[in-house]
Order: sequence, then C-alpha cells, then structure tokens
Amino acid sequence: MQSAATEDPISRLLSVERVTKEYKTDGEPVRALHDLSIEIGSGRFVALVGRSGCGKSTLLNLAGAMDFPTSGHVLLDGIATDQLSETQLTQLRREKVGFIFQSFQLLHTLSAIENIELPLLLAGHGNPRPQARERLVSVGLAELADRMPHQLSGGQMQRVAIARALVHSPRILLADEPTGNLDTATGNSILEELQRICIAHKTTILMATHSAESASFVDTVVHMRDGHIEEIVRS
Amino acid sequence: MASLSLFSRLIVRPARREPARSLLIVLAVALGVSVVLAIDLASSAAAGSFRSSMETLAGDNDLEVTAVGGVADQIVGQLAILPYSIRVSPRIEDHATVVASGETVPLIAIDVVAEANSHKDQQAQNQNVDSRKIETPKIDGFKHINDADAIWTTRQLAGKVGDKITLLINDQKRDYTVRGFVPESAQVNGNVVLMDIAAAQNATGKAGHVDRILLKVPEQPGFDVWQQKLRAVLPSGVELNAQGSQTAANRRMLSAFRWNLGILSYVALLVGAFLIYNTISVSVVRRRADIGTIRALGASRNTILAAFLAEAAVFGFVGAVLALPLGRLMATGAVRLLATTVDALYISSRPGSLSLSGESVVLALVVGIGVAVVSALAPAREASLVPPTEAMARGAREYTIRVERTRDAWIALALALAAALAARFPAIAGKPLFGYLSALLLIAASALAIPALVFWITSVASTTLRKFMGVEAMLASRSLAGSLRRTSVLVAALSTAIAMMTSVGIMVGSFRQTVTTWMDSQLPADLYLRPAGDPSADRHPTIALDLTDRIARLPGVESVSRFRAYEIQYEGLPVTLGSAETNLSRFYQSSGFLSRRPAKDVLKELLSPDAAIVSEPFANKHHAKAGDVLTLPLGEKLVKLRIVDIFYDYANERGYVILDRSTILRYLPDPSASNLAVYLAPEADLETVRNEIKASAAHSEVLIFSNRDIRHEAIRIFDQTFAITYALEAIAILVAVMGVAGALMSIVIDRRREFGLLRFLGAASSQIRKLILVEAGLIGILSNIAGVVLGVLLSLVLIFVINKQSFGWTIQFHWPVAILLGALTGVYVATVLAGIYPARIAQRLNPIEVVHEE
Repeated sequence: MQSAATEDPISRLLSVERVTKEYKTDGEPVRALHDLSIEIGSGRFVALVGRSGCGKSTLLNLAGAMDFPTSGHVLLDGIATDQLSETQLTQLRREKVGFIFQSFQLLHTLSAIENIELPLLLAGHGNPRPQARERLVSVGLAELADRMPHQLSGGQMQRVAIARALVHSPRILLADEPTGNLDTATGNSILEELQRICIAHKTTILMATHSAESASFVDTVVHMRDGHIEEIVRS
Repeated sequence: MASLSLFSRLIVRPARREPARSLLIVLAVALGVSVVLAIDLASSAAAGSFRSSMETLAGDNDLEVTAVGGVADQIVGQLAILPYSIRVSPRIEDHATVVASGETVPLIAIDVVAEANSHKDQQAQNQNVDSRKIETPKIDGFKHINDADAIWTTRQLAGKVGDKITLLINDQKRDYTVRGFVPESAQVNGNVVLMDIAAAQNATGKAGHVDRILLKVPEQPGFDVWQQKLRAVLPSGVELNAQGSQTAANRRMLSAFRWNLGILSYVALLVGAFLIYNTISVSVVRRRADIGTIRALGASRNTILAAFLAEAAVFGFVGAVLALPLGRLMATGAVRLLATTVDALYISSRPGSLSLSGESVVLALVVGIGVAVVSALAPAREASLVPPTEAMARGAREYTIRVERTRDAWIALALALAAALAARFPAIAGKPLFGYLSALLLIAASALAIPALVFWITSVASTTLRKFMGVEAMLASRSLAGSLRRTSVLVAALSTAIAMMTSVGIMVGSFRQTVTTWMDSQLPADLYLRPAGDPSADRHPTIALDLTDRIARLPGVESVSRFRAYEIQYEGLPVTLGSAETNLSRFYQSSGFLSRRPAKDVLKELLSPDAAIVSEPFANKHHAKAGDVLTLPLGEKLVKLRIVDIFYDYANERGYVILDRSTILRYLPDPSASNLAVYLAPEADLETVRNEIKASAAHSEVLIFSNRDIRHEAIRIFDQTFAITYALEAIAILVAVMGVAGALMSIVIDRRREFGLLRFLGAASSQIRKLILVEAGLIGILSNIAGVVLGVLLSLVLIFVINKQSFGWTIQFHWPVAILLGALTGVYVATVLAGIYPARIAQRLNPIEVVHEE
C-alpha cells in the first residue's frame, strides 16, 4: 500500500482505497495508477504534482466519477462510485462535482453567462440565471456576461470556467492544470481565486499541476510518480 | 513522385481514417450519376424505339410518299409506270395485337412479289446491297404468297412455320398462318408481323390505299432533281419527303419531353454536389492546421489546390464507376415507365434494348468527375489560401462567415429578382432555357439566403426551444447557428431536394386537378367505345361501320357521336387530326376555349366550311392563334382551314386539329370511326345499355368504358406518367438524407470534445442523444421551411414557364395539401431517423478520451 493522507473520518470527502487503474494501448496494458490510496477531507485545497503521465489526470477522473478503478474503490462523500448506475453517477456529478480544465472548455456557441448556466440547465433547473450571475460576479466578470468566449482573454475564460464549475455548489472541485494555458501572473490570480473559494465555501479542491509554484496556494501537495504517491506535504 | 507522396499523406490517409465520410461522397456521386445515366439510357431506349421496326425494315430508300387518310393505289401505279429507273415500294404500316399474348406489334405489309423482283434486279446490278433491307420471305413460304392468311413474323412470335396466330386488327380478330420468319439479318427491334399488301388492305380496312410509298431513285441527276420531278406528278395533298422524315419529326416531337426529363434527372446530382461541397469544406476546416503546417514546410498554394481537387476527382471517378451498373439497373425499371408515357402522350413505342455503350461510360465519368471537382472548387481554393501561420480557431472562422450572411442575403435578393426577370423571356428553339435559368437562379438565391434564415430562426427559437424542449434543444439550436456554414450547406442540400419534391408535387397535383376538371367538361357521354388492343397516341384503329348504326338503334341510346382521328404532320411535327359530330352530340359542348367565348358560339362557327379548332399544345407549338389559316394536306388536296378558336386539351402533347365531321368527310370520305361516344336517354339504365351494346358488338373486338371507367383509366395513365418524376425525387431526397446522416456523423466527430465536456458538466448520455436528434430535427424543419418556400416559387416557374413553353398546357395552380404534408412529414421523419446512428455514436463517446485528447 502506498502512503496515504489520512483524514478525520467525519470530515472525509474523498477516499481512494488501494486503487489500481489500467488502460489498454494498442492491446498492451498500461498501468496508470498502482495500488494507490489517499483520503481528502472537506475544505482542503490539494495539489497533485508530478510529470506528465504520472497518473494525476487519471486520479482526477476517478475522483469525479468519470472513470472507475480496475481494482480498489473510490468513495465520494461516502458513496462508492463503482456501485452506482449510469443515472446515479450523472446525479452524483450534478450535485457534488465541478470540473475545471486546462483549455477552459467553454462552448463557443454560448455566451459567458450561458456557459455558467449550463450545469444547472443540464440538471433540469428552470431559472438558473440568478445563480449564474451571482457566480459571475464572484469571479469579477459581471460586466462580461454576454460576451462570447472568443471575445474573452485566457484568464477571463478560465474565470468563467471556474464560475461554471461552482454554479451548482459542488462539494469537490477537480481542476486539471487550470493555469497551464495562462501566463504566470494570470495563473497566480486564478490560484488565488481558487484559494479564496476553498476557504469561503469550504469546497474541496483537487488540482493536478506541473507547477511546484502552486504549492504556496494549497494546503497539501501530493507528489506523484509512475502511478504512485511519492510524498505528501502539508503546509 | 513527390506529388503522389504528398497526395497520399494529405488526402488519402485522412480519407482512409474516415471511411464513412469517403463512402458518403462516393455514394452521393454514384447515386446522382446513376440517375442521370439511367434516364439517359431509358429515354433513349423508350423514345428511340418508335423508329424501330418500321424504319429498320424500310431498307435503303431515298424518298417517301404519304397522304392523310392514305395514298391511293392509283398513285402507286402512276409512279411505277414513270419512265424512270426508280424502285417503288408501297407499304401498309399499322399495328396488330397478338391475342394470345396481348402484345401489340407493328404490322407491315409489302408487295411481296414486286419487292422480290426489285431486289433481285438490284442485286444483279449492285452486289453491295444493304443488309438491313427486307429479305423476301424464303421459298418454303413464298408459295403461300397469295393466301389471305399468310404472315411472316419474327422468331419470338411463333414456334415454327405453320403455326397459327390470332391477330386483333382494328376491332376484328383474324386467324393467320406463319409461313416464314423475318431473317435475323433484318435486325428488327422487337417483334413484327409481315404480310402481303393485298391481305393487309383487307384486314385493316384500307382498301384502295397504302400508308406509305418508299422510293429508291438513281444517284443521277441528284436527289433534289428527283424530288422536283416526282413532286410534279403527285397531287397537291400528297406529300413527298426524304425517307425518315417521320422519324425526324417524332424525334423533334419528343425532344422537349426527353430534355425536361433529362434536366429532372440532374436534381439528385445537384443535391449530391451540395453534399460533396459540404463534406470537403468540413474536411478543409478540420485540416486547416495540417494544411498550414504543410504550407510552412514548402508546399505551394497550387499544390494544395491540386491535392484537394484530385481528392474530389478520385471520389468522382469511383462514384461514376459504381454508377455504371447501378444506372443500368435503374434504367431497367425506368424504361418501362417511360415507354408507357411515350405511348400515352406521343407515339407507339416499344422499349428498345438498353445498352451501356462507350458513350454512356464517358457520360458517367464526365458527369461524376465533373460534379465532384466543381463542387470541390470552392473548398479546395479555401484550402489553398490557408496561410502557413494558420492559427485561427474554428470559432473565429465561423464568426467571420456569420458576419457575411447579411451580404449574402442581399445577393440572394438580387438573384431572386433576376430569376423573376428570366421567367419572362420566351423559349429558345422550343426549349425553356430561361425558365431553367430562372429555376437555377432561385436555387442559388435560396442557398445564399439560407445562412441568414438559419441564423435568424435558430437565434429567435433557441430560448423558446429551451423552454419547451429543454437545454438540449437550446444547445442544438446554438450549435447549428454556431456552425453556420456547415448547417447552411446541409439545409441548402436538403431544402433543394425538398423544393424539387414540392415544386414537382404542386405541378403534378395542379396538373392532375386541371385534368380532372377538364374531363368533367370533355367527357360528357355515358359510354365510350374503342377497338381493343393497347391504346397509343398515334394509333387510331377503326370500328366497323355497321356497329355504330346498330348501337344507335338500341333502346336507351339517345345518340352516338363518332370521332375519327388521323395522323398528320404539320410543320414537320406529328399532329392528330380529328373530326367530331359537334352538332349531334354534347361533345365539346362544355369545352373551354382560350377566347372564353361560349362553346355553342364556337361550335356553330365550326360548322362553317373549312373551319377548325386547335388544341392549346398545337397552338403553342405552331404559334397559331384564332383567325390564322392552316394549310393541311387532306386526301389528295391541300386544304386551307381557318382556326375558329383554341381549346384547352390535356389528352396528349402532340396537339389536335379538330374539324366537324361534315368537313372532313368532304376530303377523307372514309366514314369509319376511331371512337364512339354513346349518350343515353335520361331514363336508361347504364348497365342494361352496356350489356346490350356488348351483345351488339359480339363480333367486334371493342372495349366499352363507362364515363367513370374512362376517367379512372385516364388518371391511372396520368399517375403512371408521373411515376418516374416521383422516383427521381425520391432518389434526390435519399441522397439528401444520406448527406444529413453523414454530416451528423462528422458533427459528432468534430464536436466530440463538446459532448465529452457536457458529460463532465453533468449531462446524462440520454441528453447527448437528444441533442443530436433535436439537431437533426431542426435541420429537417429548417430544410422544410426553406424547401417549401423555394418549392412554391419553383412550382410557379414549372407551371407557368417551363411547362407552358415545353408542352403548351395551361395548368391551374392547385395546392395538393395532403400529398405535400405527407411528403414533408416523411422527409422530416427520415431526417430525424438519420440522426439515430450518429446520436448513438455520440452517446458512446468516452468523455475522458475526447476531452483530454488535444
């Protein structure tokens, strides 16, 4: 068993228990995670740091119930993701998980505010506009609500993506290289934003990153290598 | 070599990676080309066959003598005794129905003895004899030459010499004995019956007359001189023309029909062109980064242009090769339908053999490669203009195109105005070239207006759609507006197919309604009689004279009107000359005339000497109007006939000249009738009288139709005539729906990251499926809207310009609502169904793979 960051069971939000994940590439099995365990509590800001291919993104996908372990279990808010039906998984994501991506992933055909509304609309909310506007205001882009994505800067796009990820008040925010496409100053401002959200809303954030500099913004840094956890550093 | 390598890497590999896209283009080309090929082959076979037996058996003659009502035997004698070395071959040319099989075959009668002697003389003089001339029946049958029941047939008609065959000629059945076979060397197309001229004159009721005299004249002193010399000895009403002029006239008559059908066959190809344009455009947009990289590595603009055009040419070539067997197969079905139409509207026809000649192969290749390359020109040019530093995102690219939609809408308006202007120009050489230009301009205008329409409708509708159909509908609508170019091309393709379906549907529906209304006035009699056998527009077998009198005397019969028809040529085109008892019956009493004068006034004038009325198609073809004088050869005289009025007529496209019976009998004294119209007394029972007529006609082979039967039959023939147009439209729609399916597939491939993202954002897989299906449905609705608007405009051009200029029929505009609604719903459902497979693919995408793959 690999090293684990044990949390108080009461505040534990994410439990990864002896997870192994294998993919097949050209028929050959490739092991992305190997017997990995970690527990993350509510309101923590955790950075997964390591080189490309070390398993960061795989861990994020398992945590977000977008993928399932080959062996072991992932429990999100106490619920084993591999035990859920397709409908229950969709419901789980709608209620508890928010995603942020390196390349922002905004829909070109929707304005900023419409992009933010999207998770609520997909979940069947009738009038998502007030919540979406509130989130947009919280990321400081109130005046850009009707701009189309191609009319926004990279930093603005990522803020819209953050607002979108938070609009349904998820318990956990999964961020995959959120500053990877941004310059240092903008990247830092995004990290500050995430830090603020984590504190203000008690939202757990699990962030995959290459950057060791991110460490100053998070409370736990998990160093990964070849599908294992090498070290966990708490600040 | 380097070019080949580049072509392979830039074009072939991506094409292999996307077999569905490649297959779609090839299929679109194949279907489009096969339709063109099928119609070309089938119309040649169906329309070309009318010359078949009559002409192939005519031999190597130079001139032909004809007269309305037949050429008198005396003229044969006069020509034969002229002091010139000319060969005179009189002929009877009629039709007979083989009773056993029901097949109607040409009946050709020649002067067997004279022909035999003449050919022997000729062979002696000249060893170089045309192998296709009639060979004298073989000796074993020759001794029966004077038998009234002797016939010679093609081998397919009889098992052996001596077999008995019953033929229906006019309204009489007669038994004949096969005395020999037409030699294979005669290369007769289809079956034929030959007999001696005397026997034929007796059987066909043409005693004292022949249908045609063929003349072979010596080479010296020249054809024109011979024509002048012979003309001088012939009465004025007897015509002397170069041999084959009848065939040429028939060809001219059919040219408009064949031309319009040919044009219609290109619709599927046009729809295919839109789809090729769309598919290659998508491919260019998708490969912009690759193209930019290749340009940066040293490829010139021309290299890129050539690579994409070569891709299109390869697709066109493969599609055309596939189209060859497919077109041949389609032609087999089409030829039957076309032959029926040609028979009903024009002339006796028999489907000829379908041959996939070298010309057909060239046509398929030229059309297939041509349409693919032309469709690819714009996207290929766009590819060649990609700068080496290509870095534009798709969103920005689409935005640029969105901005241009207003400009395009203005161009569309200008094109629509040009279309309206073009529709006002007259036909050129009988062909509605400006009508087709008008239709093309309308299609172009529609294609250019569609981006604005799509953008406007999807923008306005997206909020409403979200309210009623959920977020998926809003996303679908936004996505269509966001990929404006792709959506527009798709909608343009599908809407063009729908427009053709709508316009032809409206035209045919209007025509059908017009014909139905016309029949109300034109078919006032209670019963109609005609000789049994296949009907055809140019065959007018007669009914025994005494039958008319017997019927007229039956209790319950108020009157019998005799209609007699003859085949004539006017200004080099075949026309039907008819005579009716306009005073006696209610025939034409309620006819509609272009002058809008009351029918009784017009018919009163028709009773005056040498007066005629002509049908609208005749007036249109020959630019005739009321008050004009027609000069027609009747019997042996040239008669000047004054046109009293023009009547609406939809019976056939050849055109009618109608005289009162009293007028025609002065020139053509044969009193036999081609059809009888029987009017019953008010208290008479239809079935009782019908049975009595049947009993009276026990020795005549006539068909009796009630008024309802004949209308039903007319509408059946009408529907059969237009069945081919529906088939062509169905193929165009199929090509378009295939295009939608293919385009939705490429939408799924292009937007897989978006679909993956939606799953990350909480979308259920069923929502992704719904999104694609709503998108397909929206494409269907947008296409239906654009298609119906364009279709209605095209139908106006078809009805009031193209039809009028090609065929001369006045068609009253009519909305075939039920048919249109049914068809449009069908297309809509087909479009949604086309989305099912792409939706399933989208549903199965792995969101992790597609979101992280870049």
